[in-house]
This record gives sequence, structure tokens and C-alpha cells, in this order.
Amino acid sequence: MSTAPTSPDIDSAPARDWLDGLLESDARDDRSAYIADAGFTARVMQAIPAPLTLPAWRKPAVVALWGVALAGISLALPAAALDVAREAYRLLGAHPVSLSGMVGALLFAGALSWSAAAYALRTSE
Amino acid sequence: MSSPEVPDAQLIARALVGDDRHAFAELVRRHQSSVRACLRKLTAGNHALADDLSQETFVLAWRNLKSFRHEARFSTWLYRIATNCWLADARKRKEELLGDRDDAVADEDAADASSSDTAHGDHARGAALKLDLERAMAVLSEGERAAIVQCYHNDLTHEEAAYVLDCPVGTVKTHVLRGKQKLKLALAAWAPDTN
Repeated sequence: MSTAPTSPDIDSAPARDWLDGLLESDARDDRSAYIADAGFTARVMQAIPAPLTLPAWRKPAVVALWGVALAGISLALPAAALDVAREAYRLLGAHPVSLSGMVGALLFAGALSWSAAAYALRTSE
Repeated sequence: MSSPEVPDAQLIARALVGDDRHAFAELVRRHQSSVRACLRKLTAGNHALADDLSQETFVLAWRNLKSFRHEARFSTWLYRIATNCWLADARKRKEELLGDRDDAVADEDAADASSSDTAHGDHARGAALKLDLERAMAVLSEGERAAIVQCYHNDLTHEEAAYVLDCPVGTVKTHVLRGKQKLKLALAAWAPDTN
């Protein structure tokens, strides 16, 4: 045993006796006898759960669902959808932006959504 | 035991971040001997059960690797999982295995007796003492046995043993003290003054 401080009960007992020697010698014998792997690691690796892989259809399915949702909203609230489209057109028309600016904004928005999705996936594990 | 120069922490990080199973396999290879030896001691020599529990220990370690905070050595953390596995199993079985073990030990005793003519005195004495110690360990309560194994067999400090057993340091000391008292009674024949 490699600790010095002991409780009063233990202090009252002899500091080291024959049993300490016996237990330590037994432990030394056991430690010196390395247990061969003999396929143990392979069995453990077979027993651990397979890695989580996302199915290939997941991404197109998500895009399709978003499309269906937007189409559904547009059909359910045609006036609101028209207002949004008109305002977006007016905004873009009133403040024309260059092609590079639009690409930059799209890239920024894309990176932002990917980061958010990656973060959400990591935290939901 | 390949590439022992790579520290455990690095292998753990690789297993965590990159889902690197080779890194985890290396960790298993490194620590399997000590974990299996610890469980063999806790199960009072039942090697088959100890190996089953060792496998369960490493599977649980893989599943909970994210919760390893490096507050203790990785081996100590593994001992903690192993001890919990053993405690859960022992409670489930209510130590039914002790009877089987006694039979096995009796068989070994018979074999020892039959070959006593050829056995060297010291070796036979050491083997008999080991068997008696194993039997005596089996008589201890779960807490006492676990505390003795952690403090002596795994050479942990009382504080580390308290972490492994998830109990206060004082409880570990009490378990060790009571366990040793029981062992002394069970192994009285081996005490120097009685020999």
C-alpha cells in the first residue's frame, strides 16, 4: 500500500504485520505474471458497437422535405408568400448587389448553416 | 504491446475525436492484463467470469470514454468500471459461484496431494498459501474484498481506492481494516507464531 495517513482504527493496529507481507507478496507475484492477450482485444473490439454512419439517402431526403415544406407554406399562405417575394425583389432591386457580393453572401450563409448543423449533430450525440 | 511510447491520453483523444478504433484497441492491449488480473482477484480466481467482466469493462469504457475527465489515471478509471461490473454481477448472482470455486479448489487440493511426493516443499507451500488466501478472500464482504484488492493488489493509495470504489476514504480504510481482521482469522494457521 502506498499511502501513509491512516484512520485512528488503523493507527491502533500494528503498522505492518505478516498479513501485509503476505498480501504484498501475492500482489507482486500476480503483477509479475503478465496475462497474455490470446485474442482478448479482438473479442473486445468485436463487442463494441459499430460506428454510426448516416444513410446515403438522408441528405436528399432533407432537401426534398425542405422543398415540400416551403411549397406547402406558399400554398397555405399565398398572400404572405407573395408579400415576402415582392419585398425580397424590391430589396434586391433597390440595392443592387454585384455577383461577387451575392456569391460571398451565399457562401457565408452556407458556412453558417453547415457549422450550426455540425454543432447540433455533435451535441445531440 | 506495440508503440508504448504513445501516451494513453493521446490514444484516448484519437479514439474520441476521430472514432479511431485502432487507438482504442491499443489501449485495450495495454491494460487488459491488469484489468483481468484485478477481476480474477475480485472473483476469487474464477477466470472465465473475470474475462467476461473484463470484456464488459472495456465495452463500457468505450461507450463512456467521453466522460473520462483525466482526474485519475486511465488504469484507475478502468479499475473503477471493472469494480462496478463485478459488484453488479456479484449482487446479481449472490455469490453462487463460491460453491463452484470451492469444488475446483478441492480438486486442485486433491491433485496437489497426489503429487506431493514430487513437489518441492517451498513451491507446494506457496501454492497452498495462495489457495488459502484465495479462499479467505472469497469469505470477505464485497466492499472489504474490493478495498483489499485495490489497496494491495492494484497498489492504489486510499484516495485512489476511494475514487475506484466511489466511497469516502474513511470507508476504504474501515473496509481494509475489517477485511484484514477476517483474513487474519481465516489464515491464522499461516501466522508466523503458529508455524
